[in-house]
Amino acid sequence: MKSTPKRSWLPLPVGAALIVILAFVALKAIRPVIPHSVILLYMGFIVLGVVIHITLEDTRINRFWDFFLSRPGEGPGLKAQRLAMLALLPLAAGWWAYDSVRPRYAPPVEIFQRHPTVGEATLSRIVVPDWAAVPAAWRAEDVAAGKAIYQANCAVCHGEKLDGNGPAAAGFRYPIRPANFQDVGTISQLTLPYVYWRLTTGGIQNQFNSAMPRWVAAHGDAQASSQLSNDLTPDEAWQVILYLYRETGYTPRQEALTDHTGH
Amino acid sequence: MGRTADANRRRPAVAVVALIALLTAATGPALAQTAPIRDYAEPALIDSRLAVWVAAQLHLDFAAFVLAVPMFALAIEIFGWRMARRDPAAAARYDWMAHEMARLLPAAYSLTAISGAFLGMLLFSAYPRLMAYMTETFGPTFAIYPLFFVAETLCLYFWYYSWSRLQGDRKWAHIALGLLLNVFGTIVMFIANAWATFMMTPGGVDEAGALVSLYDAVWNPGWMPLNVHRLIANITFGALLCAAYAAYRFLSARTAAERALYDWMGYTGNLIALFTMLFLPFAGYYFGFELFAYSATYGVTLMGGVLSWLFIIQAIVIAILFIGAAYYAWLGLLRIPGSEPQRRLVPVFNVALIAGFMIWATPHSMAASIEESTGQFHPLLGALGLMAPKMIAVTLILVVLYVSYLLYRRAGKVPVVPWAKTGTQIEWGLIALMALTIFGLGIYGYFAPADVRIQTSIWQILVLIGGIVVTFVIDLYLLKGAETRAAVRWGTMPRRGQYILILLAFVIVWLMGLMGYARSGARLNWHVFGLVQDTSASAGLPTLGEAAIVVTTITLIFFALLGIAFAISSLAGRDNLPEFGDAAREAVT
Repeated sequence: MKSTPKRSWLPLPVGAALIVILAFVALKAIRPVIPHSVILLYMGFIVLGVVIHITLEDTRINRFWDFFLSRPGEGPGLKAQRLAMLALLPLAAGWWAYDSVRPRYAPPVEIFQRHPTVGEATLSRIVVPDWAAVPAAWRAEDVAAGKAIYQANCAVCHGEKLDGNGPAAAGFRYPIRPANFQDVGTISQLTLPYVYWRLTTGGIQNQFNSAMPRWVAAHGDAQASSQLSNDLTPDEAWQVILYLYRETGYTPRQEALTDHTGH
Repeated sequence: MGRTADANRRRPAVAVVALIALLTAATGPALAQTAPIRDYAEPALIDSRLAVWVAAQLHLDFAAFVLAVPMFALAIEIFGWRMARRDPAAAARYDWMAHEMARLLPAAYSLTAISGAFLGMLLFSAYPRLMAYMTETFGPTFAIYPLFFVAETLCLYFWYYSWSRLQGDRKWAHIALGLLLNVFGTIVMFIANAWATFMMTPGGVDEAGALVSLYDAVWNPGWMPLNVHRLIANITFGALLCAAYAAYRFLSARTAAERALYDWMGYTGNLIALFTMLFLPFAGYYFGFELFAYSATYGVTLMGGVLSWLFIIQAIVIAILFIGAAYYAWLGLLRIPGSEPQRRLVPVFNVALIAGFMIWATPHSMAASIEESTGQFHPLLGALGLMAPKMIAVTLILVVLYVSYLLYRRAGKVPVVPWAKTGTQIEWGLIALMALTIFGLGIYGYFAPADVRIQTSIWQILVLIGGIVVTFVIDLYLLKGAETRAAVRWGTMPRRGQYILILLAFVIVWLMGLMGYARSGARLNWHVFGLVQDTSASAGLPTLGEAAIVVTTITLIFFALLGIAFAISSLAGRDNLPEFGDAAREAVT
């Protein structure tokens, strides 16, 4: 198909480059910062969209390439744009190469798992006590007890409002700050045994990349008490969990079916 | 002396008796009890899991192809058969396309059987304990499986090779053979699915794993969701491979007629793939939903834990599939003179599709460096990374794809019914209402508890399907007898469109491999979830990088073998090409 001599005020390659650059700048400007990995993902889609747009019509493809050919009588503005575009690609490639090899002092990027994987064998050993199993039947005194334990032990990091913004929260930054239970992506996604496992195992199961302690009493320790240390008895741990759900208004996910004999 | 000689004479006999006694003493206890079964072996001289992984995936790839192609090839054949009286030329073309799609089947079927036998031998020799358990549980199904397999084989070869013989009045017999082939093929797949899903969500056994009910072992919680998911995915898979084959033929065509036919075939393959792809996300959710209901461990492992990053890769690959298929469909408008009004809307669809897929692929947890880490969910990305916004995005993407298709139908046509204007307004109004409802349900689901959120996502799907059905019926009547301003010029598709079809075939094979890894990997350290533990040296989950290398290698092997099948099928010579006259140009069905 022969190219139509359509001349808009903005040549197609310049428009395409501007969209890509503006999108990149906009993504970089968002605060808190968007991680590089996500920007790369988004930019991949945006570049794909631009390529699709240009290649959808033969006339557009021709307009794209024609821009790079000088024509007699063209104005200096067009020539400047062409030279800028021709310079842009090697400059971008050069920056990319430099950026990927320049010395950095940060530890390597880690793919962080929000809800670490736990084996079925471990979870199935956790028995939810009857008084904690059904949200509708939770007793007010258990929730109140959970609140007292939470405020004495957890609020310093996870915050009075359960929003992950306790006084000590700013001390933890990488790879994760204390969990924000108000967020729809935390406890509302999880079952009771999983939350209990997370609370009583702490962060150490995940390559030591969380400062969450193990809130669990030594087996058979009758003296264990949250008022003295981070030794929660199982009942106390359940009370805290009940409080987390009651206070945020979320309900735990349905529990696992462990009956293999039918469905 | 005499006694000595006598004793010497008897010595051999004593020795034999003693030897027998000794052997009996030594082997007696061993023979008296069952021979001990080893847990693991390495018959392939490489890591058994890797060997089984490669063999299983290759077998699945070929099986998916040979199961799916007869389904839509038969549908096309029936379509052609039904129009034989009205339009013999068009009927001949449909018949040619159905046969052309089935061209790779005989060779591919042999490769399915070979890879299946190889997989079976590997499984039984590398995992004797597991396979002893599976045989004990599924014994009767192991016996009937080959029967259906043989029946499928007979139907397939008769169906393919009797094509030219069973024409005209005897076409019904050919169609019946094709139907039988599909029935047997589906049964074969369903039986094999029972074994695979039993390993994920075992049912019909007691706590110790002893069989209580074979019916429940077969119809375990994961069985029907996987049946549905594989059935749909196989059709997408087979259709895209047929489209890629057509693209190759288009690119190497010597005549305009050949190019036109293979353009049409590629278009049909892509259309079938696009149509079935609409249902795939929901079939996937259905499967995931059942897995989560069976055990929360699956939910955490797949969505929040060790396999969660795999789903980001999956989201990107699915995005490439959808965007590629949509791009091909949009390019197809170039075939229709007078499609300018429709083409003007394509940039809007492009933006909607790209924006939708950006949300769809947004990770909930970020891979962040220490400088980038906020340590919490990102206020913007954390919100986009959840199921509710993703469901809005993916459902609206499907609306965009559907609208693209409606426009393609409309291109070059002018409705002649008296209510055309009102009908078009109602049609677009309903589509807008559908999109708004999907959006509203998603917003409601975002703030609702998990169980309500899942309910709203089901409602979103129902609204989508209902909306599509209603508006499509309106569209059918609206375009009834529509005046064709310009016919589709088959064969004028740009070459880049053909390369896209080949890319899509590669992507779907790769994606199938990746999801095979996810499905098997989700069991973690269990052969049979919760019942038979994997205690082999390679029980650990392979990393994503390792999985990507293996999956890519499998994909390359698959295409190399498919290339051999293609070469074999080419030896048979080419069919006479049917005429591609004016009548075929309406083929925007």
